[in-house]
Amino acid sequence: MRRVFYLFREAWANMRANRTTTVVAILTTAFTLSCVGIFLLLYVNLRSAAGWLQEDIKIIVYLEDQLSREAVVELEDRLKSDRTVAATVFISKEQALGEFRAQFPEDSHLLEGLGQNPLPASFVVTLAPQFRSPDAVKRWTERVRTIGGVAKVDYNQEWIDALAGVIRYIELIAIGVGAILSTAAVTIIGNTIRLTLFSRREEEEILRLIGATRWFIRIPYLLEGAVLGACGSALSLLILKGGFELFRQQIGATGRLSGIEHMITFFPVSVCLALILVGIGLGFAGSFVSLRRFGDGRT
Amino acid sequence: MDAMIQLIHVSKTYDRRPALSDLTLEIEKGEFVLLMGPSGAGKSTLLRMLIAAETPDEGQIFVQGKNVTKLKRSEIPFLRRKVGTVFQDFRLLPKKSVFENVALPLLVQGASSVDIRRKVTEALRAVGVDHKKDQLPTGLSAGEQQRVCIARAIVNGPIVLLADEPTGNLDPERTAEIIELFKLINARGTTVVVATHDPQVMAQINRRAIVLQEGGRVRPSAHAMQVAG
Repeated sequence: MRRVFYLFREAWANMRANRTTTVVAILTTAFTLSCVGIFLLLYVNLRSAAGWLQEDIKIIVYLEDQLSREAVVELEDRLKSDRTVAATVFISKEQALGEFRAQFPEDSHLLEGLGQNPLPASFVVTLAPQFRSPDAVKRWTERVRTIGGVAKVDYNQEWIDALAGVIRYIELIAIGVGAILSTAAVTIIGNTIRLTLFSRREEEEILRLIGATRWFIRIPYLLEGAVLGACGSALSLLILKGGFELFRQQIGATGRLSGIEHMITFFPVSVCLALILVGIGLGFAGSFVSLRRFGDGRT
Repeated sequence: MDAMIQLIHVSKTYDRRPALSDLTLEIEKGEFVLLMGPSGAGKSTLLRMLIAAETPDEGQIFVQGKNVTKLKRSEIPFLRRKVGTVFQDFRLLPKKSVFENVALPLLVQGASSVDIRRKVTEALRAVGVDHKKDQLPTGLSAGEQQRVCIARAIVNGPIVLLADEPTGNLDPERTAEIIELFKLINARGTTVVVATHDPQVMAQINRRAIVLQEGGRVRPSAHAMQVAG
């Protein structure tokens, strides 16, 4: 117990002895991890947005204009009997016009000049959850398009596909930036440990000569690295949280994107803890690299 | 008697300059031996080899029957826990109290708090600085610092005590006190090897002396020389 206490006290003494470099290491680690965190936040939110869109996918089956009432009922029955369909809602030509006027009141006069209602009747189809994957949706729409009386099938898959593409890019950027900045964090922490190693090399030699094992000497430095990494990542989470809340306020204040502020989320607690563990891991790695390169004295 | 330390044809060279040349010697268990010779004769090199801080270019070194030259890196700390070392420049940690300095060898071995307190108090009492246990080494005189260094070397009951010019920084009065301490430690059964170039120390110790010449050769006939007091 006394030995454990000693090792922690030594790690604390190392940090106190090199206060400036310790603070600089924590701040630069926090900054680098914040940069990675921004991409991670973007990635997490876009992924969840893509998930919602995919979950919420609505397929609009537009009907030919001259379709009889019986044909519409027949088509509705056919759709409802399809096991991949969870729900269908019929939108008549009149309802479509009413919705258009409600959504675009300023543009409704455009339709006045046409004399008759140009908007087609349609079915809004929701597929069962297990058939909402992009491939399943595509297959279903291709099949329905060939049914008689169907003029056109439309859905927002293109938009979802585009978003998936953006997410893939962000994922790649996050991995690239993460790798580069993690290396930077490891180097920064490694250099801090190196300074401590140089300032205490005589003490280490004494410890070695009185029978301390390599690990007994190394542990305080590894602990120091871990604490630097943990503090850096905790600080980066605070910075990210602050930035995130500010961003959410700004979004809320601008009328155009209003509503998005309730959809975007910060990292859940589990991810925050994982990020702190990543910081600790980077700190360990930095210390370990320094100890391997500079820490093993001749004696 | 059993040999505690054995050197067999040991040689060591630094930058083509011989520090020890074909050295063969034996030190018995419980013996008190002086390692004499001028600066550069290889006394410190020899002592450092006994704790595996240096490796010989040739030859074998045995401490309590264990071949030091064949030790794995991970085994070296365990050798050093059995061999206490006293340095000329004391080598105390300046930011740790006297008590903490002496406790270090026990701490690295994972001794319990109770053991540490008991053994450190005993060692400090044995060298006569128990009343200074809470002070920092920088606040002590040279003689007191050397006593603390000795306490650190004996605190875990080593089988061998090595001292490299232990009185080099002390006045004659303090030197005599330190020599008496070594004699006391030896009387308790610890093998003691003191390296010195000071003839006065040799005279005061009055034990077998191994005299090294420049270049690290044992002076002929000096191997088992008995010095008169």
